[in-house]
Amino acid sequence: MSRQLDLSRRAMLGGTAALAGGLAFGDLARAQTKSGQLTVGVAGHLLTLDPGDANDTLSQSAARLMLEGLLTFDHNMQVVPLLAESFEANDKATEFTFHLRQGITFHDGTPFDAEAVKINFERVANPANHLKRLSLLSMLERVDVLDAHTARCVLKYPFGAFIPTIAHPALQLLSPAAIKTYGKQVGRHPVGTGPFAFASWQPDTLKVVKHAGYWQKGLPHLDALTIRSDPEDGARIAMLRAGEAQMITPIPPQQAQLIQHDPKLALINDPSIVVRYIAMNVNKKPYNDPRVRQALNHAVNKELFAKVVYNGFADPLLSAEPPHITFYQQQAAYDYNPEKAKQLLAAAGYAHGFEATMWGFNNTVAITGMQFLQQQLAMVGVKLKVEPLEGGVMAARIWTVKHPSESHLEMYFGGWSSSTGDADWALRPLFATASFPPVLYNVGYYSNKAVDAALKAGLETADPAKRGAAYAKAQKLIWDDAAWVFLGVERILDARDKNLQDAYRLPDGGLMLDAARYA
Amino acid sequence: MSELAATKPATADRAIRSPLGEFWRRLRTKRVALAAGVVLLAIVLVCVFAPWLAPYNPTTPDYQAILAGPSATHWFGTDAYGRDILSRVIWGGRISLWVGFVSVTLGGAVGVALGLLSGYLGGWTDSVIMRLADVLLAFPGILLAIGIVAVLGPGVTNVIYAVAVFSVPVFARLVRGSTLALKQSVYVQASRSIGVRPVALVLRHILPGTLPGVIVYMSLRVGTAILTAAALSFIGLGAQPPSPEWGAMLADGRSYLGVDDQLTLFPGIAIFVTVLALNLLGDGLRDALDQRLR
Amino acid sequence: MIAFLARRVLGIVPVLVCVSLFAFGFVRMLPGDPARLLAGPDATQAEVRAVRVSLGLDKPLWQQYATYIRQTLAGELGRSARTGQPVATVIGERFMPTLWLTIAAMGWSTVIGVALGVIAGVRRGRWQDQTSMVLTVSGISFPAFWLGLLLIDLFAVRLHWLPTGGEHGWRSFILPSFTLGVAVAAVMARFTRSAFVEVAGEDYVRTARMKGVPERRVVWKHTFRNALIPVITMAGLQFGFLLGGSIVIETVFAWPGLGRLLVDSVNYRDYPVIQAEILLFSFEFVLINLLVDVLYAVVNPEIRLQ
Repeated sequence: MSRQLDLSRRAMLGGTAALAGGLAFGDLARAQTKSGQLTVGVAGHLLTLDPGDANDTLSQSAARLMLEGLLTFDHNMQVVPLLAESFEANDKATEFTFHLRQGITFHDGTPFDAEAVKINFERVANPANHLKRLSLLSMLERVDVLDAHTARCVLKYPFGAFIPTIAHPALQLLSPAAIKTYGKQVGRHPVGTGPFAFASWQPDTLKVVKHAGYWQKGLPHLDALTIRSDPEDGARIAMLRAGEAQMITPIPPQQAQLIQHDPKLALINDPSIVVRYIAMNVNKKPYNDPRVRQALNHAVNKELFAKVVYNGFADPLLSAEPPHITFYQQQAAYDYNPEKAKQLLAAAGYAHGFEATMWGFNNTVAITGMQFLQQQLAMVGVKLKVEPLEGGVMAARIWTVKHPSESHLEMYFGGWSSSTGDADWALRPLFATASFPPVLYNVGYYSNKAVDAALKAGLETADPAKRGAAYAKAQKLIWDDAAWVFLGVERILDARDKNLQDAYRLPDGGLMLDAARYA
Repeated sequence: MSELAATKPATADRAIRSPLGEFWRRLRTKRVALAAGVVLLAIVLVCVFAPWLAPYNPTTPDYQAILAGPSATHWFGTDAYGRDILSRVIWGGRISLWVGFVSVTLGGAVGVALGLLSGYLGGWTDSVIMRLADVLLAFPGILLAIGIVAVLGPGVTNVIYAVAVFSVPVFARLVRGSTLALKQSVYVQASRSIGVRPVALVLRHILPGTLPGVIVYMSLRVGTAILTAAALSFIGLGAQPPSPEWGAMLADGRSYLGVDDQLTLFPGIAIFVTVLALNLLGDGLRDALDQRLR
Repeated sequence: MIAFLARRVLGIVPVLVCVSLFAFGFVRMLPGDPARLLAGPDATQAEVRAVRVSLGLDKPLWQQYATYIRQTLAGELGRSARTGQPVATVIGERFMPTLWLTIAAMGWSTVIGVALGVIAGVRRGRWQDQTSMVLTVSGISFPAFWLGLLLIDLFAVRLHWLPTGGEHGWRSFILPSFTLGVAVAAVMARFTRSAFVEVAGEDYVRTARMKGVPERRVVWKHTFRNALIPVITMAGLQFGFLLGGSIVIETVFAWPGLGRLLVDSVNYRDYPVIQAEILLFSFEFVLINLLVDVLYAVVNPEIRLQ
């Protein structure tokens, strides 16, 4: 069955691929570069191409090949218009009006207009549809169609972070006709306005082809694009080195040298918004004492953390959010100073240290990171037991806790990436009192009324100056409280064929391939 | 099996030897198995004397010597934390062999008990136990392991339980088979007729008869168990850091493949040599035991 | 014979019923809420609830079991919680790659295993015997993922002869099936050797030899053919094991098979897919066991009496 599909695909692409199919494998790879084909090797699996029902970056990235949103992010995670030409908000941050680009149609010929925006947004916001990104638009009351090319989103309550929310890839637009035809299965039949049109999706392999009528003239440069899942790091790198893929994402930092030393390959090394931290259960002794939390911050050599765990490919984390999130405010670093750490511990009554358990996921980064922390904390007398947990087990341990006092969590090796790129989603889920599990991800039960007030103030206005002030305050408070041990910010590490250009990932990890081309 | 042996002309020489002596005589002719045994003994000795043999502490980091290749100071090089790989391989052998032997002994013990029950009692007990064994065999082993490690949490002990489960149905079947054969043998029938109680009969007369096969099979399973533990590490369910279990070292080291190959090469060789020795020894034991296969 | 078959086929039913019950209980015993795992760590409670309702996990356990049994009996397996596709489709599109890979791996193991087994059997006790046994045993002594990665590095990256992974044409079968096959080759070789040695001791072979039949003919005509039956039996059993898909090899070679599907489904606690896979594996296993037993019964009529 899969073979037949393959054949029809080849027929569709014209002779080039069919011809290449007859050549030896190495030749096939070279032929691909020439004929404007790109294969991207990825670690994860595509789950759906319905962005409103996808919560993983990969599925959303893949959808981005075919679909577009009103707004999007540029290379630096700044919001830029895409299908909307401009937008404006009222002062209270309850009404947002979008002026749409005209003359665009979906791949199936359905016109793109305000009605399409209404159908898409209200579909995600409607709880009866049980879509996974439901809460992204939980503040949406309705979408008014002012005219064919003007749509106004009316919110139930003020929400200052609405603009970055609209730029979120989960709110990319599907053809209303496709939604109607396929219903729940639209995720297997995506129809959008994007540069590529859906071709086929077999296990592990998604293929898309150039959409000839794309509205941005001159794009896309490629004729066809394939996304192939290859879960094993080493095998994925082999795929690139053997010429079967022209880009792979991600690569383990340990193998960066391998890419750097290969004259045919280039390393993609960009900033990300993935922060690494240790959360501590502030309801439990000794973590209830800020001096202990500060001591732990002084006890970890973050430079060495970056070197050992990330082979040097990580940046310092100097606030509760990373630099590429809106309203970032750098704080004064907790310097590496084991002596000071010991003094702080002694002052808190733990001159001889204490025993602790740290939970983390069972992936390479967490296992490596936790081993390193075990070694570092041992030097100030903290005897750390490390527990790498399988995802489901971790979920059970964190989410089944109904009341903070029931939590067994002591230290947690975590990572977070704010999917909206906004300070709100970078801070509120992790530090607000209202975000204790099982509501959101404040797993250390950090609670500070002043922080709660600042996070609330940041959402009550769309005025960047006021929001900035609120989030600056929140970041300062969280930092001084040492709510986390602030470890570092990961970097985007990918590898590509030297000739491939304009294929990259955003700081949030999302793939941007619409303008990819060969030199 | 017994029929066949009986039809063979027994030489006078063989007739006067004890079964054990006969076994040794035959094993001595298996040079490969003997060599494997010697290698295995050496490995075990190295593990036993790890504290005296390992040049460094296997868990102490040395950030000045991160990812160093093999040299005079570190024969096998160092890992991402600057820990000495030779020392880790030596200490890791303790854990890997421990996981292998204990899990198989545990799984074997449960399997033997079930097999004896099943074979001796027959009837309903037999059906139930054998169907359960079927279910267990049919159930994807790795899924069971995931379940066990998930429920009990990570750690070497739980890895042992997970790996032990793989062995239970295999041993149960093996022992049931030999129990059925032994039950019909003359001396068991005779013991029963003189009123030996069932428990004593099973423990004193049937169990010893099944043991040679069990021991041989165990030696073969230990290798499998070490590999299974490595496979569990591969999917992130193995021994917990900073334990230098070989499988965990190999699985962790694979992000360095092509860059720092010492991380995978040495634990890989250690696993390969140990499992190979175990398998060759097990093969030799089986041949020596099985009269037909000389 | 028919009575024997009927009894055996009927015997499958309780095993499968047990497995289905066991599967249902087992997946729910695994810690971790599927709705939470699918919704992701940054999901709100409303989103988690939305997922739970759409999976039918908000209903009481007995209702879930009733639905599961009703669906299973109707041959309808529900939808994957992870992708929303029908379970039959999810498993269907991954069954064929696993089946082909299994067949290819059995090809390797049979060729390597039987060849070395025959050599060992014929040259029993000599250096050829020992060498081939050490060779085949080496195959099962490698940690599979290490061997796989080493082979990829050599044949795909350095030599550019073969693709690194994925299922794209016959070349992509070579490395994964070889890695899988060498592990089985040892069993095949040992079995072939044993069968060979055993048959060589039989009266009719000795008679043939005494009659002055040339050695080559004795080996091929008299010994090999008769030694084949247990070897085929063993191959069948191994085939059944491999059909479950190998998690390690499918991961290393990015093979879209059942083993990887199982791991992915477990990671997300995709209950319908895990349950269906367990049932499928058990069914395959029991079926192959049955075939093997039938084969035994054909060869040795005494078994039928028991």
